[in-house]
Amino acid sequence: MDNATINIVNTIGDVYGVEAEDGQKVFELIIRSFTKKKKVTLSFRNIEILTTAFLNTAVGQLYKDFPEEYIKDNLRVADISESGKVALKRVVDTAKLYYKDPEALKRSIEEII
Amino acid sequence: MTLQNQMNKLVKIDNTFESFQSLIDFYENHKDMQFGEIHLELRPLFAANMSAALGAVLDKFISNLNAIHFDYVSPEIEVILSNNDFFTYFGKSRLIDTNTNTIKFQKLKPTDGKYFKKYVIEELLEGHIADLTRMSNGLKERIIEAIYEIFVNAQIHSETKFIYTCGQFFPNKNKVEFTIVDTGIGFREKINNRFGSKLKATQAIKWAVEDKKTTKEGISGGIGLSLLKEFVEVNNGKMQIVSNDGFYQFDDDGESLKMFDGEFPGTIVNLQFRTDDFNNYTLKSEISINDIF
Repeated sequence: MDNATINIVNTIGDVYGVEAEDGQKVFELIIRSFTKKKKVTLSFRNIEILTTAFLNTAVGQLYKDFPEEYIKDNLRVADISESGKVALKRVVDTAKLYYKDPEALKRSIEEII
Repeated sequence: MTLQNQMNKLVKIDNTFESFQSLIDFYENHKDMQFGEIHLELRPLFAANMSAALGAVLDKFISNLNAIHFDYVSPEIEVILSNNDFFTYFGKSRLIDTNTNTIKFQKLKPTDGKYFKKYVIEELLEGHIADLTRMSNGLKERIIEAIYEIFVNAQIHSETKFIYTCGQFFPNKNKVEFTIVDTGIGFREKINNRFGSKLKATQAIKWAVEDKKTTKEGISGGIGLSLLKEFVEVNNGKMQIVSNDGFYQFDDDGESLKMFDGEFPGTIVNLQFRTDDFNNYTLKSEISINDIF
């Protein structure tokens, strides 16, 4: 089997994808699949509410360990709501910037002082 | 009358800077007291959602083994604080709620995510049918997501023992208010600990509501508060953050920052949303599912 489908509702046991630690469970399954060279489909079917905290741990932190191109080629999402799509895009764009320049946050604090 | 007695009268507590200042004065006045008797009068008016902030302050006193006495509560406030279950936590008999505009006072541990979900469903999704049927599903979803972003922030960042929530529907004014309070370390200490900086509370709050600003280490974030702010803008709502001696407000008039005299022992996030918001929140976004990563 070259592809893995991760059913988020089943993985976290909830139709609310809201807590960061639940996102971690999804993240760990993606990592296991990626390390076995599998392409992953993340199914958001029946997810009712999403927070960016959940999406940061589930997906955002992938950009720490994998290049953007690898994630683009090997991860797809299915059955996500419109607002979920907007939130996920924000999470992904933020993660790409963050891991390119983690010191930017500290600089933004220094600019205030 | 002594100064201390004067301070224990909370009068006309709503969501103004001055009301938060009154609560802070009350806290500052007794924060070091132990094994004492604290007498309190609540006189008109008292906004229901502010019971989350008052509950947090009273619990700080109770954790120092002080006894709380409600010497006088005006009749209309008595009804509000009984209906929203606040008094159940502070030694009065529980009453059956007959007021459907009330979103109950709730005290949760940060690990009580499942209870918070039940609360959100009962109080915001399935209760209050008269108010909720007027709101589109897209709007309801946005409000729930906004509330969750704040709850999860308190879970992750505040290092609090309890999270206090409360709210109120105002059918005649077409709005809903919801307040989430923690007694954790506050924005200032969290940010200064992380970056070794010396920001003031107002500077810390302003930084945190900007997009992509997070104190998390090794993982990106900082989107929740800026998404909330964007939603508040489209909805013509209001958000207020009280953290230590910092006050932040964002509404139709833009952002404003002020400093309190004294400090709140944690963070209050106060949200106000319009329920007569007819924006189409389920409109298809321009983002292609193939263009996310």
